[in-house]
Amino acid sequence: MRYLMLAKGGDQNPDEKLQAEMAEFIQETAAAGVLLATGGLEPGGTRMISSGGEITVTDGPYTEAKEAVGGFALVEVRSKEEALELARRFRGIVGDGESLIHQVFGPAD
Amino acid sequence: MPDTSRSGGSTDGTIEAVWKLESARIIAGLTRLVRDVGLAEELAQDALVAALEQWPESGVPDNPGAWLTAIAKRRAIDHLRRAQRLERKQAELAREAQQAHDEPDDVLRLIFMSCHPVLPTEARVAMTLRLVGGLTAAEIARAYLTTEARVAQRIADAKRTLAAAGVPFELPDAAELAGRLSSVLEVVYLIFNEGYSATSGDDLMRPGLTLEALRLGRLLAELAPGEPEVHGLVALMEIQESRSAARAGPSGEPVQLHEQNRGRWDQLLIRRGFTAMLRARELGGRPGPYVLQAAIAVCHAQARTAEETDWAQIATLYDGLVHQLPTPIVRLNRAVAVGNARGPVAGLALVDELAGDPALRDYHLLPGVRGDLLVRLGRYAQARLEFERAAALTRNAAERAFLLRRAASLPAGDSGVTLAEAAASFLARSELDTATARAYGQTMRRLRLALGDRRPLATLTAADVARVFTTAWGSAAAATWNRHRAAVRSFGAWASVDLASDVDRRASAPARAEPLDHAWLAELWNRPEVPLRERVLWRLVHESAVPARVVLSLNVEDVDWDDRRARTGGGDWVAWRAETARLLPRLVAGRTRGPLFLSERRPAPSRTPPGADLCPETGRRRLSYERAEYLFKQATKPLDPAGTGYTLRRLIPRAERRGRRASAAG
Repeated sequence: MRYLMLAKGGDQNPDEKLQAEMAEFIQETAAAGVLLATGGLEPGGTRMISSGGEITVTDGPYTEAKEAVGGFALVEVRSKEEALELARRFRGIVGDGESLIHQVFGPAD
Repeated sequence: MPDTSRSGGSTDGTIEAVWKLESARIIAGLTRLVRDVGLAEELAQDALVAALEQWPESGVPDNPGAWLTAIAKRRAIDHLRRAQRLERKQAELAREAQQAHDEPDDVLRLIFMSCHPVLPTEARVAMTLRLVGGLTAAEIARAYLTTEARVAQRIADAKRTLAAAGVPFELPDAAELAGRLSSVLEVVYLIFNEGYSATSGDDLMRPGLTLEALRLGRLLAELAPGEPEVHGLVALMEIQESRSAARAGPSGEPVQLHEQNRGRWDQLLIRRGFTAMLRARELGGRPGPYVLQAAIAVCHAQARTAEETDWAQIATLYDGLVHQLPTPIVRLNRAVAVGNARGPVAGLALVDELAGDPALRDYHLLPGVRGDLLVRLGRYAQARLEFERAAALTRNAAERAFLLRRAASLPAGDSGVTLAEAAASFLARSELDTATARAYGQTMRRLRLALGDRRPLATLTAADVARVFTTAWGSAAAATWNRHRAAVRSFGAWASVDLASDVDRRASAPARAEPLDHAWLAELWNRPEVPLRERVLWRLVHESAVPARVVLSLNVEDVDWDDRRARTGGGDWVAWRAETARLLPRLVAGRTRGPLFLSERRPAPSRTPPGADLCPETGRRRLSYERAEYLFKQATKPLDPAGTGYTLRRLIPRAERRGRRASAAG
């Protein structure tokens, strides 16, 4: 099953040590066939709202940096516990903040 | 930062997840330390048990993988201390073990070990899922629809075989690499196909096997990045898996590739497949079977609609693949590709070459493909017969209905009595007793399946029947063959058609278990690359006509050099002739006692065999029967038309075999 992980918060200016640890974590999970895709996200982003058929587009919906989604990872795992374990390791590297973990439904789910 | 709340799952669930993510690395590191994969796995399991006992109380540690590794290593050091306390200083040993870092190739070594050709295929699969995938015996049993006890037994046997054969924890050397790698890839692809072809979704473990295989493949690609076939296999699996959502209809019926909704193909996996394929291509070299199969999968993935498929390219790829992998299924798929690329006549010619292949005798796609090609040639009556035959062979109800609809849409052929009608009247005669009717019924059922129920009796020839015999009963016992032959003769006589004249009566059992003949042996003896030890062993088995197990049990001190014989532990004499007598002194090379045949290397400290199986002069162990058998199979593979290699037993000439049996009975 696949899970999409979204990470909020974390250090805005990561030092070299953190970057190296992250690179190793990504390399390791990709090599193990677990990590399918990952990337960092532009902090502000663009928001689109449809209301009564009317589309409104605004920039940067987040007022605080810790609220911004900073990155995502798409993983393929055997169980929810495996997904949580990976998220836990990720938070162990990047430090305080919030992660959102959603199962991505496939044909079997 | 210990977790305080784990609403996402129980501690046990977390431990299981950690275990599956870490176990391969832990077991591999321990195997490096203790040089025994069975022991390594036991030690790792001990660590898992410790986690299950402690973590619910203490909380899950910050770095659970490191915790498990540390515990397991400590147990390994305790074990080594116990095993070696007489020989080495403990402190020195402990320091050595503590310092032993995991090497990046350890997991790869573990994979090569789990997939070692000395193990039967099922055992390789079970070992790989167990040691590398971290699955429990119960999970493996569930995936393979067997019992946990049977899987556990299979794994225990495999560990024993690996130990007995002295399989080292090493990467294969250059000479061995291709063969060993293909064994690994075969295991991974078998696991994938087991999951992929499971159509019932009752148990999630079976589809879960495709994920295990994908993970193994991706891991291998990282560990052995220089091997194009590894990337080929990964590409093949990623692209096949990309179609998983599209390959079944709403009620679970299979949807053929050309009818699939391509919008449901998983583009992420397709792109991963393309990337893997690029890596394989960049490495260059002559493409192997997995790269070729992946290239075919890439062609299909690149076509936005079925009509855009580049059949010319696919047919060319199959031309290459069929040389390397001439299996009946590959040949049939090639016929389909050629039929699409170069026209139905060319395709039909290839299909008809397969008509006599026993492996395809019950394979409904063979008549199905033939029917398709016949339709395109406008030979509707024949096509109709083929679709009916295909419908009778398939086990899938939806597919049967589909084939029967296709048959019904085509005009029927010439009138006259059909095979099915004739068979029914033949079997319904009152003079047949029940047993004969049942026996004849089996024969007629096979004829109808092979030739088609609606096949007009008048068009049947003795050649058709002979082909059915070769396909269906070519490897059966003579008695079976003759029984079916009698049935067809009776049917032919009743119907006044000559049907059995091309089927000869068989006198004896087929030649499968026959001893190897002289010409063949001469070729074996003349191969210059056979090492001395194997040369002596094979000669000795052949000249003495004694089973290899007995020959391997001989000791140097029991050799009677003057009389060309040696006494076994049981007190019998094993005698040989000139060629063994000439070679034997070179093998013994001055040794005065210990096993006559020695393994290549010294045993691991934890696996030191009993004294009688150890050479006191070289420290090497007795050559195991499993290893000897494996080496003979490997060496004779190129000489065996079936490509599987021979067993040592076939070195024993027939007359002596019979003689031995007689004396054993007396």
